[in-house]
Amino acid sequence: MTTVRERTRPGRGAVTTGPRPGRDPRKNIRPWLLLAPALLVMGGLLLYPLLRVAVISLQDFGLRELVSGRTDWVGFDNYAELLGDGQLWRTALPNTVVFAVATVALTVVLGTLVALLLVRLGPVARGVVTTAIMVAWAIPAVTGTYVWVFLFTPGDGLAIQALDALGLVDAATANPFTDRLSFFAVAALNVVHHGFPFVALTVLAGLLTVPQEITEAATVDGANAWRRFWSVTFPMLRPVFAVVTVLSTIWDFKVFTQIYLMPGGDGVTRSVLNLGTWSYVESFAQNRYGLGAAIAVLLTALLLVITVGYLRLLFREDEL
Amino acid sequence: MIARRFGLWLGVAGVLVFTLLPVWLMVSTAFNGRANAGSRTIWPEEWTLDNFTFVIGEGGFGQYLVNSLTVALGTVLAGALLALLAAVAVSRFRFRFRTSVLVMILVIQMVPVEALVIPLFIQARSLGVLDSLFGLVIVYLAFSLPFAIWTLRGFVAAIPVELEEAAYLDGASWGRMFWSVLLPLVAPGLVATSVFSFITAWNEFIFALTFMSDQDGFTVAVGLRRFFGQYGTDWGAVMAASTLITVPVMVFFVIAQRRLTDGLVAGSVKG
Repeated sequence: MTTVRERTRPGRGAVTTGPRPGRDPRKNIRPWLLLAPALLVMGGLLLYPLLRVAVISLQDFGLRELVSGRTDWVGFDNYAELLGDGQLWRTALPNTVVFAVATVALTVVLGTLVALLLVRLGPVARGVVTTAIMVAWAIPAVTGTYVWVFLFTPGDGLAIQALDALGLVDAATANPFTDRLSFFAVAALNVVHHGFPFVALTVLAGLLTVPQEITEAATVDGANAWRRFWSVTFPMLRPVFAVVTVLSTIWDFKVFTQIYLMPGGDGVTRSVLNLGTWSYVESFAQNRYGLGAAIAVLLTALLLVITVGYLRLLFREDEL
Repeated sequence: MIARRFGLWLGVAGVLVFTLLPVWLMVSTAFNGRANAGSRTIWPEEWTLDNFTFVIGEGGFGQYLVNSLTVALGTVLAGALLALLAAVAVSRFRFRFRTSVLVMILVIQMVPVEALVIPLFIQARSLGVLDSLFGLVIVYLAFSLPFAIWTLRGFVAAIPVELEEAAYLDGASWGRMFWSVLLPLVAPGLVATSVFSFITAWNEFIFALTFMSDQDGFTVAVGLRRFFGQYGTDWGAVMAASTLITVPVMVFFVIAQRRLTDGLVAGSVKG
């Protein structure tokens, strides 16, 4: 992160805002003129809709309201229905939270292991592995999901056949997409495959800043690799690990495409809905936009809590 | 020592297989002449371009590629201009609420698209911009702006203010300074953020799925679903289309990211 240079001396020219803002109104208005188009777009398409979704969650908003434009206020009925629904507590919330926790743990551990591998490699091997990692990172969520579905297609999917050869499943009957646990296991493979490159490259950049002398000194003192990581590397890179963990958490909480595009993920199999897909299915398949909005508000609130944590971490490191 | 080297190579092999096998399967199935005849192998027995000619011709994927390209380029051009102006404002001026604007730009990136798709669909429906590529451009512009502003802000701040002051001494107006000094110097940053805006627009799925009900307006991410038939999936076509979607993104990504991390790594080694 770069820090903004603080101007200490009053220079000349229009870019300088003097120590006493307000003297020349033209200087005060210029940054706002520059910001106006971007703020308008973000305000109109990000902030205002966020407000609007909260308002819709207080209405009974169905196909009739969509067509006629009428509003039917129901107060907190949608929330009452949502919080009293077993679907939330038994299915959508665990599918969101447990899945996010599991994939974040897997992503961060795998990413760190790959970073530790990369730092030990020569320049050529490191270049090759780094490129391969970026290829995995670059796969769009849509096509990546289809490839994993292809691998696990019941009957003749390559991964299913491999598991069959190992005697773990029976290829003739196994369908990983109907069972909740195996459905999310395939989804986790997809999400980790797409998510660990960011962790690996960020941690690698951090590892390269750890002075070699320190790790060498620890080696001389008889510390093995495990001990060196936990006593030297990890404490020094704590901020890096904090940021990659929080960012991965934010991303893995709101996975939509990777779940929605799997067989049954679009609402056909109710037991694999997470908060994101449930909100979408409730709105656009059932035309219950009010309830869908309430679910979306719940998801946003969860993410907001995590975001506050992220900002705390970031502000300690970097002055705006 | 030998055991250690062996362990390293085993690790390298593992990472290469895990990262590249899915990509290889996508590409090899796209070229596999018998992808739909029960032949699912790592190495196709029969290589062909039929899957590609089918998806572009009969499959209508050519149109989807054009749609996606239009949307992505529109997003990139508008995004670059708006983000650059905003980045200059937050990195070159001190003004009231500057910190609030920056915090908002940061926080807004965490908003889940699932929460935005409901109100924006209702809004777009009443404005009559459903089924129009322009509607998608506006939405993607909003999605890509926060990241672009945040990144460009660093690039702008890195340019010495003295260069601007020199331009003023030479009698340049603020506008002239912007075009002749700031813009050329910030160009590399602009390229990097444009690549990310392009990828955002090119890959986006939920809004393209919700806004576009007419097949003529499908983008690639949504058009792909057409090859999932009621009676079975045409995997050869799916993978050929997936390859067409993925390859440009991959090339872009590796180039742009390489530059960013190379700079990162070089800096830390010297430091």
